[in-house]
Amino acid sequence: MFAYLIASGISTGALYAMVAIGLVLVYRSTGHINFSHGELFMFGGFIAYTFFVILGMPYFVSLAVAVIGGFLLGVLCDRTVYRPLIKAPALTMVLATVGFSFLIKGVARFFWGAREGGDYVAFPAAVDPAPIPIGGIMVFPQQLLVLGGAFFFVVVFTIFFRRTRWGKMMQATAENATAAFLSGIRVERVYTMTWGTGACIASAAAVLMAPLTLLSPDVGFNLLLRAFAATVLGGLGSMPGAIIGGFLVGIIESLAGGYLHTGLQEVSAFIIIIVVLVFRPSGLFGIHKLRET
Amino acid sequence: MRRLFSRRNVVAAGLVFFAVLPFVANPYVIFIGNLALMYILLSVGLNMLLGYAGQLAFAHAALFGVGAYTTGLLKLELDLHYGLALVAGVGLATVTGLAVAMPALRLRGLYLALATVAFAQATLWVFTHWNSVTYGGAGFRVPPLDFEPFTPRPDIGVYALTYVIVLASVPLGWNLLRSRVGRAWVAIRESEVAAESLGIDITRYKAIAYVVSAMYAGTAGGLFAGMLGIVTPESFDLFQVIVHFCMVIVGGLGSIWGGVIGAVGLVGLQEVLRAFRHLQEIAFGGLILFTVLVIPGGAVSLLKRYLPGWKEPLRRTEHDE
Repeated sequence: MFAYLIASGISTGALYAMVAIGLVLVYRSTGHINFSHGELFMFGGFIAYTFFVILGMPYFVSLAVAVIGGFLLGVLCDRTVYRPLIKAPALTMVLATVGFSFLIKGVARFFWGAREGGDYVAFPAAVDPAPIPIGGIMVFPQQLLVLGGAFFFVVVFTIFFRRTRWGKMMQATAENATAAFLSGIRVERVYTMTWGTGACIASAAAVLMAPLTLLSPDVGFNLLLRAFAATVLGGLGSMPGAIIGGFLVGIIESLAGGYLHTGLQEVSAFIIIIVVLVFRPSGLFGIHKLRET
Repeated sequence: MRRLFSRRNVVAAGLVFFAVLPFVANPYVIFIGNLALMYILLSVGLNMLLGYAGQLAFAHAALFGVGAYTTGLLKLELDLHYGLALVAGVGLATVTGLAVAMPALRLRGLYLALATVAFAQATLWVFTHWNSVTYGGAGFRVPPLDFEPFTPRPDIGVYALTYVIVLASVPLGWNLLRSRVGRAWVAIRESEVAAESLGIDITRYKAIAYVVSAMYAGTAGGLFAGMLGIVTPESFDLFQVIVHFCMVIVGGLGSIWGGVIGAVGLVGLQEVLRAFRHLQEIAFGGLILFTVLVIPGGAVSLLKRYLPGWKEPLRRTEHDE
């Protein structure tokens, strides 16, 4: 039981970590939290659904299309929401991204939602759905795929962030936008790239997750809250913190659901957010910056 | 000619319109009118917290829910008089608002937004899962209200009650905002450091903002339970937060009358789109985005620009809008 819960916690935690990475990426370079990040995730999942299930394309093609589509949606978010409001106060930006998130959710529901039997659509597993025993516990192959996929994307992303020119430009912009601008970095392009990259990681996470759960226009917000919990737990703005936080949230959720009460699985992320923000706003590994100014 | 549409005249016309409505309209239209009045209460309360005090709190729909659940459950389980149940609902919502305020006072900006989103979702979870008390996801029916000897029709009774409460509490809010409290809120919104250096007790005035807006939300919730006759968790979910935000933003953040205009204007939109959830989401999400991008001051800023008699104290200066 314990091993099983930990295993399933780790595989969902990997997804939370992926969504949280995008959130932190945007937060670090722009100082804003993208409340529509969960909807970007959801939309990426539905793009893959369209190609994989409706058009019958291979899984990896659908994944690639979803990642590209997610990127474009992130760019759209940058252009329509962030860029025009770049000098607006944080409150305005939050309201704008919240508005944008509902706009996307409505569009997704228009195309893929409201079928008979509710808004949920099933996304068939890319691999054999029968569980296989590993070290005495039954593991779904999709869970391994999720874990492998998440690992792959995190590694690719880290290499991109640390080694490539664009990645370094993003880091420089996040560190100090004015200095980056003065050294010839086109900060605005970097912002666009940042929103796009964040959204494409979220899309990849959605494609990996979809076979494990069902896909619906409403999944975005739940994932967003899990990702919030992960970032807050790891310390808002810390990239390794977000990844570790993601795994921790996944495991805590799984254990709380398994041992205490099944309903607690849903609510534990909210409790984590509230408890961490009230008692230790800097998170487990956070930079000691208690307040937004 | 343009003087005819000054605020005083428009508000007076609105008062007459809502006073006459129950005598001439059919029950459905009365219900919509009642909803509009209730949303006025909600948006006045939310505007104080969001527009004036500048606190980005998402807990409002949850407090609205606490008011509705408390009122409805007391009526159902104890068969309490509706008036008493309503008072209890307002009381519990206010206490919950204070409980939210305690930790929220330490948080600012994004942290506050995150914490209150989490609180709102946790409250919704309680509504859905505390089956033995809240009747779970399906909700419960509130027993029919009794307004004898005033009127035999419960819907008109609730309508009249809502009307009277709006008549009392909108001017109350208006006066509060023009008092020391309102000025302190605006100072806090513009700069906490500057406000503190002027000797404003930030903690105290923020707490007042939370409590007062919770009172408005709780009142609206209790009335909502009474007029709808059924209380379900989905009336208080995140989409409701969007509807409330949309009313305040489209009407005008930081303007009581803007909130009132937004509430009355958008009730109709919500009713028309009632059956189409996706269109509602597109409409309300799009409206928020459009207003924030194109007319940040909301509808009331246009009125201020083109019509005389809409000036308000504590308004943002022109270049802010």
